[in-house]
Amino acid sequence: MAEETKPTKIIDARGSYCPGPLMELIKNYKQAKTGDVISLYSSDSGTKTDAPAWIKKSGNELIGVYDRDGYFEIVLKKTRQ
Amino acid sequence: MTNPKRALILGDGAAGTILSNKLRLLTNKEELEIVVIGNSRQHYFKPDGIQIPFSLKPYRKSVKNPAFLFNSGINYIRDEVIRIDIAQRFVTVKSGKSYDYDYLIIATGNRFTPEDVPGYEGEAKHFYDLQPTLALKEDLARFNGGDIVVGQSSIPIQCPPAPYEFTFLLDQYLRERGIRDKTNIHYIYPLNRVFTMSTVAKFIDELFEEKGIMTHTLFNVDNIDSKNKRVNSIEGESVNYDMLILVPPHRGQKVITESGLADELGYVDVDRHRLTYAGNDDVFVIGDATNLPVSKAGAAAHFQSGYLSHHIASDIGGAAYEEQYNGECACTTVTGKDNAITLFFSYDRPPRSNFHSKSDFLLKWTSADTYFSGMVRGIM
Repeated sequence: MAEETKPTKIIDARGSYCPGPLMELIKNYKQAKTGDVISLYSSDSGTKTDAPAWIKKSGNELIGVYDRDGYFEIVLKKTRQ
Repeated sequence: MTNPKRALILGDGAAGTILSNKLRLLTNKEELEIVVIGNSRQHYFKPDGIQIPFSLKPYRKSVKNPAFLFNSGINYIRDEVIRIDIAQRFVTVKSGKSYDYDYLIIATGNRFTPEDVPGYEGEAKHFYDLQPTLALKEDLARFNGGDIVVGQSSIPIQCPPAPYEFTFLLDQYLRERGIRDKTNIHYIYPLNRVFTMSTVAKFIDELFEEKGIMTHTLFNVDNIDSKNKRVNSIEGESVNYDMLILVPPHRGQKVITESGLADELGYVDVDRHRLTYAGNDDVFVIGDATNLPVSKAGAAAHFQSGYLSHHIASDIGGAAYEEQYNGECACTTVTGKDNAITLFFSYDRPPRSNFHSKSDFLLKWTSADTYFSGMVRGIM
């Protein structure tokens, strides 16, 4: 990840099953400010598709989906007011 | 002769009642004293909430006095838990008394928090408790067509299939009243499918399409605009309604958060396979109070109670209990007036849902009788 997209918040939802990681992301999103970058760690494979779908639908920016060592990292930038 | 050990069970809902009765059947009073603390006014079989609004079931069959559901040899104390102190090993109740324990079982369930959704109170209706369910029955009887929105405000909720079950019965009810063609049924859901479990979601989605039920997925409720009769999502969508039937948000009990056992959402982080809390071998959490990745449903509490009662009974008997809870659960969910599917699943096995049947519906139809006569008594 580039330096300018260093996360404001990291959510470690590893070990939690669907829909836990996505719900964690939405909960933190509601508390975040416009411009914040949220990084979600998940070991549940469903999150890899569910979270980007939600980010797109909600009109925010998907910075990336990364395969890490035994988990996925999904990074969102809150662009909506 | 040594004094009996004490199992202190917090909660008199499905989880606490089933566990205490199972534990009583497996142990005698000389070796284990069982104390249950709870203050429920009634023990309501909530799954019937999908049928009562459509006059498919008289509500009196779904309610019992909690005190009558405990087997002989259980000390049931009607009081409210106000503090749980794991470090000092005691629990305090509202009347001022404190209780210590050898085994503590937290089965305090969860609660509805409509205040979490702006505009909810006084506007949205639901079928998740007896009084709102009876009120909804009256509202539906007066309904003569328009837009009905059905859904849930957040995740997790008790009995996750209930919103789609209710939607199927609503569709049937409106057809029988001859006003289905004058009504749009909208189903809203927080994920990008119509149910959490994708195998079931596919099946339900096809049935929804067949019945002309309109779906709005990835719809996380943000607020309700009662003036304009509109429910708005975090994602920026809106759906207009004439009647809004929305499962209220849930949280764990306040006492759990105030005792430092959970965050503000109130669900306790539990060992997935042993149901223990924070490395304590004598503190367990079951039912809706947990953050386990299983349904918040009496069916899950039933399986957890089976595991835990054997675990504690073995421990008292001095035998190591090597079994692990694997998230196993079975439940029957309605897919229309005369059809249902029975789902079997565990942590590692998603449910299969190849067909629905009338025989499964019979299982669902009789589930309150099965529950009150056998399951809650600990003999099933």
